[in-house]
Order: sequence, then structure tokens, then C-alpha cells
Amino acid sequence: MTTPIAASIRSLTLALAIAFLVTSVGVSYWTILASDQLANDPFNPRLIAASNDRPRGAILDRNGAPLATSEKGATGFVRSYKDQSLAQVVGYASLQFGLSGVEAAYAESLIGQDPADPISIWRARYLGERQAAGSVVLGIDEKIQKAAVEALGGRRGAIVALDPRSGAMLASVSVPSFDPNEVVDPQRQQAAMDKLNNGPEHPLLNRAAQGQYPPGSTFKVVTASAALESGFDPTKKLRVDDPYQADRSWGDYFVRSASHAHGLFDMSDGFRLSENIYFAQVGLQIGGGKLAEYAKRFGIGTAPKLDLPAAKGQLSGSGLLDRPTLVADTSYGQGELLVSPLQMALIYATIANGGVMPTPHYATGVRDAEGHVVRQVAPGAQGQVISANTAKTLTTMLVGAVAGPGAFAFGAKVPGVDVAGKTGTAETRPGEAPHGWFVGFAPAEAPSVVVAVIVENAPEGGVTAAPLGAQVMRAALGK
Amino acid sequence: MNKSQGAALPASPPRWGLGGIAPRSRFTELSLLVWVGALAVLGFVAVVGAETSSFGSASIVVPAIFIVLVLSLHVFLIARRFRGDQVLMPIAAGFTAIGLVLVQRLASDLLLQQLSWTIIAGGAFAATILIPRDLTALARFKWTWAFLGVLLLVAPLFPIIGREINGARIWVKVGPGSIEPWEAVKLLLVIFFAAYLEEYREVLSRSQRRIGPFPIPPIPYLVPIVAMWGIAMLVMIFEKDIGATALFFGIFLAMLFLATGEGFYAVLGLALLLVGGFVAYQLFGHVQVRVDTWLRPFDEDLRFGSGYQLVQGLYALANGGLFGAGLGNGMPDRIPVVWSDFVFDAFAEETGFAGALALLTLYLLFLYRGMVIALRAPTTFLQLLAAGLSFIIALQTLVIVGGNARLIPLTGITLPFVAYGGSSLVTNWMLVALLLRVSEVSNRMRGGP
Repeated sequence: MTTPIAASIRSLTLALAIAFLVTSVGVSYWTILASDQLANDPFNPRLIAASNDRPRGAILDRNGAPLATSEKGATGFVRSYKDQSLAQVVGYASLQFGLSGVEAAYAESLIGQDPADPISIWRARYLGERQAAGSVVLGIDEKIQKAAVEALGGRRGAIVALDPRSGAMLASVSVPSFDPNEVVDPQRQQAAMDKLNNGPEHPLLNRAAQGQYPPGSTFKVVTASAALESGFDPTKKLRVDDPYQADRSWGDYFVRSASHAHGLFDMSDGFRLSENIYFAQVGLQIGGGKLAEYAKRFGIGTAPKLDLPAAKGQLSGSGLLDRPTLVADTSYGQGELLVSPLQMALIYATIANGGVMPTPHYATGVRDAEGHVVRQVAPGAQGQVISANTAKTLTTMLVGAVAGPGAFAFGAKVPGVDVAGKTGTAETRPGEAPHGWFVGFAPAEAPSVVVAVIVENAPEGGVTAAPLGAQVMRAALGK
Repeated sequence: MNKSQGAALPASPPRWGLGGIAPRSRFTELSLLVWVGALAVLGFVAVVGAETSSFGSASIVVPAIFIVLVLSLHVFLIARRFRGDQVLMPIAAGFTAIGLVLVQRLASDLLLQQLSWTIIAGGAFAATILIPRDLTALARFKWTWAFLGVLLLVAPLFPIIGREINGARIWVKVGPGSIEPWEAVKLLLVIFFAAYLEEYREVLSRSQRRIGPFPIPPIPYLVPIVAMWGIAMLVMIFEKDIGATALFFGIFLAMLFLATGEGFYAVLGLALLLVGGFVAYQLFGHVQVRVDTWLRPFDEDLRFGSGYQLVQGLYALANGGLFGAGLGNGMPDRIPVVWSDFVFDAFAEETGFAGALALLTLYLLFLYRGMVIALRAPTTFLQLLAAGLSFIIALQTLVIVGGNARLIPLTGITLPFVAYGGSSLVTNWMLVALLLRVSEVSNRMRGGP
């Protein structure tokens, strides 16, 4: 005989009643047990609303110049942002739209509850005492930042300058930018945000760390690193005949030389004259596996451990280099490669730093209201990517790429200083002008600054970008 | 208790004015509705008062219209000499009142729309009380309901009429607006399952073969079961609506369990659902996003992305505390689309854990009342129907409240009667009418109140 339905109804009702009980317990967790913790979460808009009556901590550049401060207005404290060129980096603290940039990444520090200062957190949470907020100091140097803004001159693109020894960001420009003061102004915020979100220009995107571009010839240092460390002889001459294909199976597919070259090239020539066919052959000789391994070691496909959001880039759509034409194209920085300007800067910083990649960071420290250091932000090195010898060989060739006879990157020269660097002209979509790149560092013998420049859709490509790099390096070196 | 199947049912109630019999009073219902009316007025006065520090006309007009509506329904039932349950309608009216107050609080520009839907829902309730004249007629057309249900379920997938809103393709264009056919499907499904299982429950449960303790039902009867599972998975994949899948499959499992008493079916079904969910997690981006958002909404890469809504909801809960911020005094409007997906968190922020617990208790009471109606129903079909309908409301509540409180992954299921949304409100009121109809059949057979 079948079980009476009544029994099943009772069991089902009981099961549901238990589920209601469990759900109620879950609700009590959030409303009561986790209540204090969430109420003090720096991203909680209720906290931002409540902190209307007291100033938020300031954000300063490395010399103490204010980048963001809280000023008393008619309805409470209002955030004031001083430098539009740092809009994506400094970010905004908006009741309506939440936090972004440094305002988000160091949100706790900016309300006087830095994780390195647990006593303040405890006092705020359980005693309701609020510390006067301290400040967050960035590595940005106003002077270098200004030079970078002037160099880019409003063209769409980005410039990153960082110290290869510490990884501190010295300048970070992303054009187009926006006025964060509008985003925190109750009268204008909605219109401002609609405009920012609905254009084709994406001004909220920090192109310096989040922009994804094909790297073009600036990527050749990765191919060269892989080759040098696999025992490839850089002095060996390879035959270059434009146009090039490895064998007939490529069909109508060819690698082209920018200078329609015919002749013998060694690696220095390859860098100096930015010869795609030379590097395509190098890539094919060492193989896609080796090239992929070095791209991965240099951080392509992994987001840099930055204290702000950063894009991870890609080696190829599939993550592999499994076709000869893709290996050839990737070897000179095209194919399906995508990188951010920050990633390129880090690759060159590794070369500048004797093969050790630094960890990038915008902030350098947190101070309390009296100016005492609460915490230093110094994440240290990420590890040896290539040998010191390889780094040295590459540096020599990159100096030649700027100052050698007929060098493509001559525009990056700085009087009285040896600059190591490389231009790139990255093909984008068919019918669109290429992106112009320059990535380099100076002084070559003891580098203190790495610069990555990208100018979107610059018909002259790397020729446009190189002198911008020189301008920024001059400002950084005080020349 | 004699539950012989196919028992002759009493004749349908007399029509308007026939026989000159005095209308039957429904005192319990009326006295409960007084509380509902007070709730509506106080809620509106509190919300409008907190917003404008004055008692605007909306605070009186809307609750007045609402009270007139529920009183007309009450009078309508009396005039019909209706003998069904007197508690469920006031509970549903209470939920609806809370829903209207919350729409005023969270999205006052949608209030007129929601009020119109409430009136339509009242009409649908009355119509369902009248038609069909004989409830068992529903069982005769079970394959029609199944066909119609599946048709409605896949309707959003068709190009011209289907619409994708907030990532889920579960909407169908009707005139200027959209409706969610899923809402009607849940009623059709319960009716179909109740009828199908009434017919085959013996075969399904009195299984000849067993593997260990597990019953293996005859294969032909398993086909519809597996087909249901397949359809549920298809809905999840193509309409990207995990909530509907959970509900769809949940109804099916619950009714299979009710009919056969075999807990094994429920366990097997849950296992299948988990396997399906796991495979879907591996294969489909939208499932992955849901699960990841549930597991770590506070992570940096999610808290301003896919986790934003949930995190804002949890802030709202946290602000609620024990007794809440007070109606109109919280900040639940920080939650995106709060009026449809997160209305529970909004309610909990302003009325606290106490209010949330009261609301959950009210849903539990609804479930209890519905299940009592099921227990008392005279035929297997009516028992399964009433239990299935009550189960829908309970499961929907558990799934959305669980999602809001991060106990399970969040889905786009509506909080019954309370969340903003017309299709949902209308079908839920029809569901109440059906439950009332079942209780009336039992009462007439017993000669009860």
C-alpha cells in the first residue's frame, strides 16, 4: 500500500519549517552578529554618509603636495581633487557611486582605520571613537607627472613612469581623463557619471594599468630574452628578405619588414632597425614553447600585483603559441598579444634592475593625523626573471636602439645621459592608425626611471612616442 | 479519514442572488483584514512622513484604495456564500500591503503601476473563485496544462516576442510592457503534476524492483520525470535563470515526494540538480558568476562588479540590527534594483531582525495554513494541488531570502506578494484563490464552517 499522502505532507512541512528556521538564523547573523563589522566597512555607503561631518584623510604626492583633501562645505565635508590627470589613480569617494582608485584601495587608512593600526579599528568599532584621519602618500612626483601630461598633450593614450629599484609609480597619465570633483558634487554627479559611462572614450579606465594594447616592437625584448637564455648567439647574422615566410604552408601569409630590408642582421641590428623579420626567425628557431614561457615569466597573462586594479593582458586568445605564424607574429609583438603600459614598463624595469622584477605600487606609505608613519608600502621585488647577464646584454642593445647609427628610437635621446629603449608601432584593426609606443629607461648604467608611453592611433607610431619618453625622463633625471 | 479517489464532489456553490439565502458572514477574515488595513495606513504614513515630514495625500489615498479593494474581495466572498478558508486571504493582503509600502519607499514612481497590478490581481482572484465551476475539471485537462506550461516556458526563447532583462531571458513582450510567463507556468505545473501523480502514484511508489533500499520504478513512468529534469536544465542554460530552474525542479521533486512518499526520489533529484549545477558551473559563464559572487562577494574584483548588489544588500541587513532603522530612515536605496530583487533586505534594514522574523513567520503561517488545507482535502488530486501551491510560496520565499542573506547563491526569484512585479502578484493571488477553493470543497463535504 502506498504511503498516505498526509504523512508526506507532514514531513514536507516539517522540512520547510526547518528551512525557515535556518534562514532566520542566517538573517540574524547579518542583522545582529555581523552588524558592527559591516557597519564599519569602509565601502559601506552609510559610513560615507555618516562621515559627512568629519574630514576624510588627504592623499598626497611624494613631496607632500595635496592631491585630494576634504573641505568644509555648506552640507558637510566635501572631497576636493587637485589634479585631473590623476583622476583614475586617486579615484573618487562618492556617496552615490562608491569608491574608486586610491580612495578605494586605501579606504580604511583614509578614515583612520589602517589595517596596520588595529587599536584604532577596535576603538572605532566597539567604543565608537573615531581617530582623526591620516593621509596616504603616493610615489607620484608632481614634477614628473606634469611633464608626462605635457608630453602626451591631450592625445589619447597613457604614460607610466616608475622607479625600477622600488617599483614606486612616479607618474601615471591616462587620457582622456575626467573631473572627479563633478562625481562627488551632489548637483552634478548623476549627469557627470552618465557622461563618463556612456561615451566611447572610457575616461574612467586607467589606461596606464588597465588599457590593453598590442605591444608591437617593444615586445622584442621578451623574444630576445628567451633566445639569449636558450643559448642563441646574438652575434649570429640572419638573412632578412622582405617579405618573409618560413615555408610554403603559410600560403599568402608573410611577415613584413618596416624598412623593406634585404640583408644580414644580428640582434643589435634587429633592435636598432626594429627588424620584424629578424625577430620572427629568432622566435621560430627557439620555438613557441620557449617564447610563451618567457612571456609568462615577464607577467603577460597575469595581472601585476599593483595596489590598484590592473589588467592581465594576454599572450594569445588560447593562451598558447601553437601555430608557426602565431609564433612568428608574437616574436615581434603582434599576433594576438595584449599588454598594458604598466606591464611593458615592468618588463623594461626588470631589464633595468639586473633581471629582477619590482612590484609596482602607487602608494608609498600611510601616515596618521600627526604625520607619523603608520605603514610603509614597500612590496619588494617579485623575483629574478632573467639573469643579470641577459639584462646587461639587452641594456647594451637597447642603448644602441636609441643612439646607434640609423636607430629608430633616436627621438628618445636625452643629452648627457645614456638612454636604453625601444619604440613600437603596433598595428590595430585594419583601417585604423597604429598605436605608437616607446618604453625605455635611464641612465642606462644605473637606471632610476622607466618610462612607458603609448599614443593611441598615432600615424607615425613609435616615432611620435619616442620624444615623449625623452621629455618624461628629462623631468625625472632633472636634465 | 476516507480519501477514496474520485469521490463525488458536492455541486458548485449557487450563483449570485439565487435562492435568496442570507450571505454567510466571514467574521475571522474581516477581523484579520482590520489589522491589514491598519498596517497599510501606518506603513504609508510612516514612509511618506519620513520622506517629506508631512502627511501627503499619497499616504491616505493609496492605502484607502487598497482597503476598498480587499474589502470588496471580502464582500464578494460573503455574497458568494463562500465557505473556504478565512485566514489565507488576509495574510496575502498583508503581504501585498507591505509590498505597496515598500514600493512607495523604494521606487515611488512605480507605485501607480503596482497599485494597478494589485487591482488586476484582485480581479484575477475573484475570477479564479468563479472559474472553473468544478475544480476537478482541472485534472481532466492535465496534458493541456503541461503543453501550455512548456510552451510558455520556452516562449521567451523565441526571437520577436522574447526579451532579455538583467541577463535573464525570461520575459515576453506584451504591448508596451513585458511579462514573465514563468509565473503562470508554476501554477500550470502544479496542476499538471497533481493530476499526473494522482493517476500514477500507485505505479511509481509500489515498485516491483529495488536495488538495495532504492526503488526502481517502471521505465515508462520515469520518462516524464527525466523529461522534466531535462527541461529544467534547458531553461537554466538558455534562459539563464537559475532561480526559475531551482523552483521548477523543486516543485517537481516535492510533488513526486508527496505522491509517492519515497524520500529517495527527492534525494536522487537533488543529486541530479547538484550534478547539473556543477556541470553548468564548469560550462557557463553566467552560472560561474552567480556562484563566485555568492562565495566571495567582498573580494576586491567582485565587490564593485557582480558582487555589488549583494554586498549593498548585506550592508542594509547589517544596518537593520535588532529593531531596524525605522521605515524611511535606512539607506536601502543604495542597492541596485532593490524593489524587485532585494526587497527583503530593504524591509529588514528598516524594521530590523524583529521585522524580518515577523515577515518570515507570516510566510510560515501561510505555508502551515495551506498544508492544513491540503491535509483536509478529500481527493488525492486536491491534496497534491493544495500542498504543491503552498510549497511554491514557501520555496520562493526560502530561495530569495536565502539569496538575499547569502545563504545560497542569489537568484532572481520574487519574494511572493511583496516584491515589485505584476505577473508575480497576479499569479500569486490566483494561487490563493485556488487554495481557498480546495478548502471550500472540504468544508462543504464536511458541512464545516
